[in-house]
Formats: sequence, structure tokens, C-alpha cells
Amino acid sequence: MLALALAGAASADEPAKWLERMNHALTTLNYDGTLAHWQGGKVEMLRIIHRVENGIVSERLVSLDGSGREFIRTGSRLACYLPDKHVVLVERTPVKASLLGGFPVVDAQTMRFYDIKDVGHMRFNRRNTRLITVMPRDQYRYGYRLWIDDSTAMPLKTQLCDSHGKVIEQIVFTSLKIRRHIPDSAFQPGISTAGFRWLRNDSPPNRQKVNPNGTVWRVGRLPPGFHMTVRAAQDMPGEPGPVDHLVFTDGLASVSVFVETHAERTPPGRAPVTESAHVGSSYAFSTVVDGHKVTAVGEVPPETVRFIADSVKAEKTSDAAPPPASLGPLPGGPFAHSPPPPN
Amino acid sequence: MNEELDSQLSAMFDNELPAGECELLARRLSRDADLMARWGRYAVIGAVIRAERGVTLDGSVAGRVSAALSKEPELREDAARVSGGEPQLRWWHPLAGAGLAAGVAAASILWLRSQALPGGSQGVTPAMVASTSIAAQSGPPGASATGPDSFVVPPPAPRRPMMVVPAMELADYVVAHSAFSWPVTRGNLLSALMVSEPGTSSTPARSDQPAPGVQGNAIQNPK
Repeated sequence: MLALALAGAASADEPAKWLERMNHALTTLNYDGTLAHWQGGKVEMLRIIHRVENGIVSERLVSLDGSGREFIRTGSRLACYLPDKHVVLVERTPVKASLLGGFPVVDAQTMRFYDIKDVGHMRFNRRNTRLITVMPRDQYRYGYRLWIDDSTAMPLKTQLCDSHGKVIEQIVFTSLKIRRHIPDSAFQPGISTAGFRWLRNDSPPNRQKVNPNGTVWRVGRLPPGFHMTVRAAQDMPGEPGPVDHLVFTDGLASVSVFVETHAERTPPGRAPVTESAHVGSSYAFSTVVDGHKVTAVGEVPPETVRFIADSVKAEKTSDAAPPPASLGPLPGGPFAHSPPPPN
Repeated sequence: MNEELDSQLSAMFDNELPAGECELLARRLSRDADLMARWGRYAVIGAVIRAERGVTLDGSVAGRVSAALSKEPELREDAARVSGGEPQLRWWHPLAGAGLAAGVAAASILWLRSQALPGGSQGVTPAMVASTSIAAQSGPPGASATGPDSFVVPPPAPRRPMMVVPAMELADYVVAHSAFSWPVTRGNLLSALMVSEPGTSSTPARSDQPAPGVQGNAIQNPK
């Protein structure tokens, strides 16, 4: 009997369970906190307010360091206020992919590609926390160190690490309040948008048909452990037509592939150009396939987004049924243990 | 006036400044370089003392903190080997040696205050976790829990000249992608997008080694 009780306690302390608790806390609690975001030698202060009320998620992220940028999510609508660019970007995100649910499950498959450990109890910021490390087994993904609060399961400190354990990004809650109720007024922008340019995508994602011209975009080879979970057509602000959106994940890291469905033929005689870009520690890589711009974006190393973007190919469909346009997980997906293309 | 501002800054860090005043102060910060420097000291010390390395600080305080940290061994994954159960104490010793402990303690930058959740519980119970709606995912064929069969380490990405360009399209993609990210990485992603100007580099593809599946000679320049 005692052994059973001990076994149960040990099971509850499994690191994966802590990650699940943390996921649940991040997405279901009402909280108001200040974050210190460190990346590339710079520290920026942000305020985050998160509320779940009547099943609707509201979230506001405010830069406190001068840019005045704000992101405000209400349900499936996300507005990005970028005063430094005099732009407001409004996007409607898939409901199923909103902050409630839709995030990866840490399972045996995940364990194949990450070494997840419960390092033990740590005192952090005068709180009892559990340090969970999630270290990648290869260089296709990042690792994490998470200081998870014992009582609330909120990650008080998060470190993003490369495959060698070097910290490349860090977020620390400098203050955090768990709230019973947060008023609507907390989710109003604090800036005037007079004279701003609004880029809107308020239409719901196209779930019915991915590509009207019978072209299906697939990824021939993927880094180990990644598989496709979402295929959708998404309208993007400023784009004349919907963009094919494919999502690949290894259980924790995810990569989106966007394919512009309208082909743009460039004048002959110009050299092909690829683009790489970064946002913090996340990377994007763009290339051109059959005249369509293909962009892979994800919180993964640059090699991974390039590998995936370079593996995208178009397949013409016959008069068969259209490809799945699900916003939820797909059964299986392309998978191969193949080396990346030579550089 | 300075005392009043200090008081406001302190209150801001203590989360005792009303939201309206907080945002007004943030706007003032954006216009006042001296105030920004003071804010930076408040903000960064707390972060620095807990493991960040390479944080840029100005002034003598920054120098002393950085000097103290530079002598510290890197916090590694195997922190479990650190005896005593509270490895974070390692960070406090050099700070005390630099004479900063009192100041850091007085600043009380980092603290967390939890209020009771509805129902009187602050915890997240296993039952709550079990009831979470999480999208199931199917693994690839042949997946097992025994570890990866083999991996190929990709070669390092070639160094490319970085060229910062307006990248609304990239921002849009990042926002769209964030909806599908793990909550932890989504926070990082949106925070990074908020505080940084995306950098973009454009590199002509090598004609002798076309990437698989890439055809044609079309050019897509940064928008």
C-alpha cells in the first residue's frame, strides 16, 4: 500500500506532468505580470495581462520600454499596435488554435527528441519552484529550462537554450499577480491610433478548400521527429489571395510554412534570391518554388526552417477529393530520417 | 522631482502603481534618457543576478554586476549536481562580495504575489490538468519511446550579411504562426516580435546547388 502511494507520488512528479501543469496554467489562469525579456544582450520590459472568461481568451502584451507596441488578443482576433510603424495589424486566428488548447502534448514521441528532466526544487524569487530542463537531442530544435512555480504552475523564469545548453533567450516574471477577475478595460490599447494604417484580416480562415487550382503543397523531407499537424488556407493582410499554411511540430517546437498561392513571375535574367530572417531567437527562411513564395517560420534554429522550406514541393491533384483542410491535427504526416540537403 | 520619479519607478516594480500611471510613466521613459537609464538599472539587475550573461548595462553598478557575474561558472543543465538544494545562492555570493547585496535586496525588484483563485485554491490539480482540452497528435510511423535511431547534424548556416528591412510580412507570418506555438515559445515569440525589429538578409541562391523542390529563377525581394 505504501509502495503504491509512493509510486503515485513519483508519477505525479514526472517532468512531463509539470510541463502539462504549466501549459494549463499559462492558458487558463487570469494573471497580470511584468516580464523581463532578455535576448542578444538586451533586456526589455513587457507587461502581460491574460484572462479567460466565459471561454474567451483575452491577452494584452505591452512594451514598457518605449516602442509603445501592444498586442491585444480577444478571442480569435489579434490586434498588433505598432506605433513606431504607424500600423495596426489585425488578424483573425483559427479558433481551434487559440490559446486554449491546441498546444502540443509531451508524450513518448516528444521524449525521443528531447531529454526532459526534473532537476528538483529551486528557490526563485522567494518562491518554491521546480526546475524542469528540456534539452534537445540534436541541433534541429532548441531546449528549455523552466522554473515552474509550485503552487500556480506558472513559469517564473524561462530560458531558451541551444543544443549545447547555452542560453540564447530568457524571460523572467519580475512581478506576477494571479487575479480572480480582470476588467475589460485592461484590454484596451493605451495609445492613440489616429493616422495609423490598418492592415486587416478579419475574415475567418478558409477551411473548405486549400487551393482552388488543384495544387497541393507538401514537404518531402522533414527533420527527425517533425510531422504535419495542420493544413489550412489563411488570408493575410496585404495579400491578394489566401496563403496556404502548413504547421509541423515535434511535440514542442513548431514550424509554419506559408505558401503564397498567387504565383509571381519575376523578370528573367535575375538571380534567384532566398531570404533568411530572425525575430528574436526564432527564424524564418523564404525561397521560391514554382514561382510561389514559400516561407518557413518557427522557434527553431535557422537550419531547421531552411531545411523545411527547401523541401516544399507542389503536387498537382487530379479531380480527386481536395486535400484535407483541417485546422486540427492531421493523422500522421510526412516523416523521414533524411539528412538535410548539402549546402 | 527625482524622488518622486524614483518612488514611481519603485512602485511600478512593486506592481503598486495604478495601470494608468504605469503606462504614463512608460511613455515618459521613452522620452527621458536619464530616466530610462535609471529604469534600466532597476530592471536589469534583477535579471542579471539570476543567470543572464552578456546583458548590456551602463554605469558603475552595471560594471560591478557584470564583473561579479563574469567570475561565475555557467549554470548548466546538470544543476542537480549542485549540492545544498538551492543553487541560486551561487549568484548571491559574488554580488555580496561586490557590495551590491543590500542594494539589490532593498530594490526588491523581483517578487511574486499570488492572490487566491476562485474556489480558494492557488494550485493546479492533476484533475484540472486531466480535463484540459489538448489536441491529440499522432506520431510518425514506427515512432517509439526508445530514443532516436540516428540523427544527422546539419552543417552550420552560412554567415550572411544582415540587412534590417521593414518586415511587416514577416511580422504577419510570425503572428499567424504564434497561434500554433507551444505557450512558452509563443510568449518568447511575441515578446521578441514586440521588442525587436526583425532582421532580414537576402542571399542569392547558388545555382550549382539548387535546393530540393525549388524550381525556376524567380526573385522575391524583401517587401
